[in-house]
Amino acid sequence: MDTETASATQEAPALPPTFQDVMMNLQRYWSSVGCVVLQPYDNEVGAGTNAPATTLRSLGPDTWRTCYVQGCRRPTDGRYGENPNRTQFYYQFQVLMKPSPDNIQELYLGSLRAIGIDVDAHDVRFVEDDWESPTLGAWGLGWEVWIDGMEVTQFTYFQQVGGFECDPVPVEIAYGLERLTMYIQGVDSMFDIVWSRGDDGVTFTYGDVYLENEKQYSAFNFEVADTDFLFQEFNDREAECGRTLAAGLPLPAYDSVLKCCHAFNLLDARGVISATERMAYILRVRTLAKACCASYMKHVVGMDVPADQLVFENGAEHE
Amino acid sequence: MSKTSTLAFEIGTEEIPAFDLHRATEQLATLVPTALDEARIPHGDVSVYTTPRRLMMVVDAVAEQTEALEEVFRGPAKKIAFDADGNPTKAAAGFARGKGVDVDALELREEGGTEYVYATRSVPSRDVAGLLPDVLGSIVTGISWPKSCRWGTTSEYFSRPVRWLVALLGDAVVPVTFAGLQAGRLTWGHRFLAPGPHEVACADDLLAVVEGARVVPSETAREAAIREGVAKAEEQTGARAELPAKTLLEVTNLCEYPTVLVGTFDEEFLQVPEEIIVDAMLMHQRYFPLYDAQGALTNRFIVVTNGNPDCAATITDGNERVVRARLSDAKFFYDEDLKRPLEDFVERLDEVVFQEALGTMRAKTDRIVALTSHLADDAAFSEQDARDAARAAYLAKADLVTNAVVEFTSVQGVMGSYYAEAAGETPAVARAIGEHYRPRFSGDEPPSTAVGQAVAMADKLDTICGLFAVGQGPTGSSDPFALRRSAIGIVAMLEGGLAVSLADAVDASLATYEEAGVAFDRASVRGEVVDFFVTRTKVMLRDEGAGADAIDAVLAAGVVEPAEIIARVRALESARKEAPETFEDLAIAFARANNLRDAAAGTAFDEALFTDPERDLAAAVKQAAAGVAEALAKADGYAAALSQLAALRGPIDAFFETTMVMDDDASVRNNRLQLLNAFAEVFADVADFSKMAKSAK
Repeated sequence: MDTETASATQEAPALPPTFQDVMMNLQRYWSSVGCVVLQPYDNEVGAGTNAPATTLRSLGPDTWRTCYVQGCRRPTDGRYGENPNRTQFYYQFQVLMKPSPDNIQELYLGSLRAIGIDVDAHDVRFVEDDWESPTLGAWGLGWEVWIDGMEVTQFTYFQQVGGFECDPVPVEIAYGLERLTMYIQGVDSMFDIVWSRGDDGVTFTYGDVYLENEKQYSAFNFEVADTDFLFQEFNDREAECGRTLAAGLPLPAYDSVLKCCHAFNLLDARGVISATERMAYILRVRTLAKACCASYMKHVVGMDVPADQLVFENGAEHE
Repeated sequence: MSKTSTLAFEIGTEEIPAFDLHRATEQLATLVPTALDEARIPHGDVSVYTTPRRLMMVVDAVAEQTEALEEVFRGPAKKIAFDADGNPTKAAAGFARGKGVDVDALELREEGGTEYVYATRSVPSRDVAGLLPDVLGSIVTGISWPKSCRWGTTSEYFSRPVRWLVALLGDAVVPVTFAGLQAGRLTWGHRFLAPGPHEVACADDLLAVVEGARVVPSETAREAAIREGVAKAEEQTGARAELPAKTLLEVTNLCEYPTVLVGTFDEEFLQVPEEIIVDAMLMHQRYFPLYDAQGALTNRFIVVTNGNPDCAATITDGNERVVRARLSDAKFFYDEDLKRPLEDFVERLDEVVFQEALGTMRAKTDRIVALTSHLADDAAFSEQDARDAARAAYLAKADLVTNAVVEFTSVQGVMGSYYAEAAGETPAVARAIGEHYRPRFSGDEPPSTAVGQAVAMADKLDTICGLFAVGQGPTGSSDPFALRRSAIGIVAMLEGGLAVSLADAVDASLATYEEAGVAFDRASVRGEVVDFFVTRTKVMLRDEGAGADAIDAVLAAGVVEPAEIIARVRALESARKEAPETFEDLAIAFARANNLRDAAAGTAFDEALFTDPERDLAAAVKQAAAGVAEALAKADGYAAALSQLAALRGPIDAFFETTMVMDDDASVRNNRLQLLNAFAEVFADVADFSKMAKSAK
């Protein structure tokens, strides 16, 4: 925590937006475009895409627009806070609009302006980057967006989720908030990002907020997490997911999918999953995720879904 | 001809992927004229212009009207078209229906003394303007994309969403529609420099309007601009840029208005192996590295941007920051990796799958070690070479789990060699690790040492044998593990002097899989792998211009070792080239003898029954048989064996000229057949000359 001099605060207009300014400006901007501003999903996810507001809500014909900040956990990316660009926890800003608006690229560029990036004075480019998640049975086409060579956003037109065609087509925009803010603030380490700056000049950096978190979680993920417990958790959550789906409740069932994913990611970080087991675990998660999507299509969207895709319902109807 | 106008069509899109755009540009060059021709629209030259955000076609001299046309078709003969009563038959009715005319409208005309029915169909002249919406629509849907998507609420597919259409014939809008869009006369310019919209008054103006909106509308013009900018940058820095074709094409199609800038990074990063820096710049950022006069990497690089040239300083600065972050990542990874000796990484190969049914890279490492040791024995390596080969094989894959390679995949192998050197491995080991992925493509250099070649061959052959063992050999155009390329690499090494037996190595490799508990039918997999190599060798020989007949002739003798096949085919081709008549003639004689041959008769001819030409032939056959056997016993004796065969030409020709094989006397006939059998047998281990006779005829 630093205390800046009072004169520095008076020159505030020259200071770039803080981390939380970026979050709030993005929220305000997408809110004005008609998005529901959600708060982060309260479950471990590896990416903003995995939150149900994107994964499940991409399905079906209804219009849907949302944006939210999402903390993401990728246990294997932990570096004990020693790498300036890589951490096991980071934030994404996620936008999902269904159907994709015709002027979506312009809307996106508007969002960059809203966080202080003069897109006309930089080199903003859309570089092919297609997205595929075998675990979700999902894929889409799109780009990574570069600003002066720095990748700051993933931009994807979803074509399929859970093996179901997306119709209408949602567009997903996922900003890497730390990357983007590092760029805006001109700092070379994520931990140097200015998170907040009070009127009295009191500032907090990303390091103030999260460095200890990175050290502890890296140690936990790589060294401490109890693997027997995690294996058991995976099995229990898998069973719970099936039971919940049998009751025709895809939304709570999907929570168990996320729990399984996180348990798997931790086991992976602990280095106890062999190559052959890895494939088997991924397949188990895929089965659950696809079954949740099928259940969502049937119970929420109200579509006829072939019985063989409702693997946990055993032909029994739960209304 | 009536009045003509220019046709201009623009499909405005969101950013199309660089390589897909290139392929679409090539397709349009034929798609557009074909679509016009099929609609019978007379037109002049077709020009295609593309950028990531637009596909444009400008067609000169499009006629206002198609030409009226009278098409005449000949149908069945009169006697088939009409029955005895003169009524049209089913055949006539079917023909008329097929041509879209009334059966009563069929006419009879004589041709070559026979009367046939004829159908005449008139196609009236049509307004081109009315045809164009469909024609242009068919162009939009006619482009084939490797991947395409839907967007919004549309059900149409395109590479990326289509956002506007401009279609003008002269100054009139052509009302083509696609994905809910209606063509008009409004185009958009460069996204940041001149966004627009811009109105296009007439077709002739489209290109100028787009160019005026800060867009360089063709791939070739953008490439030229980039090359010019690079040349200037080279002049300014005194350094030289490498422009790999693939990256150049990509950057050309990642911008509408290219500007070339020069960036710099901190010299401290030059301590990081050059390969990582180049990978980070070329693969990840599409920057071109700059080299000094001695060919050493400098701390400067070229960026091709799509931004505003007036903001060059800001854009350069931003790109330099990205490079700094990337390189400090690379340096961090490199320094981290160096904290442990390379061999520490071998156990972690357990985390990397080689192939689902074949286990991990750790298991592959064990197999490569075993196979390398077999190859070292077979090639009679010195003790030191054998030790180095075994060590290099053990460490070959270790860098796959190092931080640097996980992050910068293209430097696999190279990093292993740096780490091996740092860990105190012998230079031979380090070099073999670094080179064991070679040759990476046809024509690439093989590893420079026998040690490196042994490891490279073991690695590639292990992949080939393993995938064949689990039924994953290449099929048709699908070869996901690039087995064909691996096989070509092995053949190139064998041919280049790696003195080992492929067949034995295949056996050794399959044995390692059996020991690892992979279940497969040993004999059939061995056969498949050997055939696979023979086929690859054939393809390589064909590519260097060897005749298919010579290759078949050599293969008929049962050789399977690629190096032997290649040496023999080349020797045969060169002998044939030196004395074409001899070989052609010999081939014909052999084919004749071969046709008459009766295996049941044996070769125990009786010299007492011989006439002079027979006696001469028998003597020549005897001499040649001994000569061939002696020649083939030597390593390079194949050419000598061929000249032994060539010596048979005179006697066999004389024999066939003077001797009637199928003599009425059974014993004479049989004796002559025995002689011919003996003659043909001399060829058996050399080449089946009858294969060459077929093409000689």
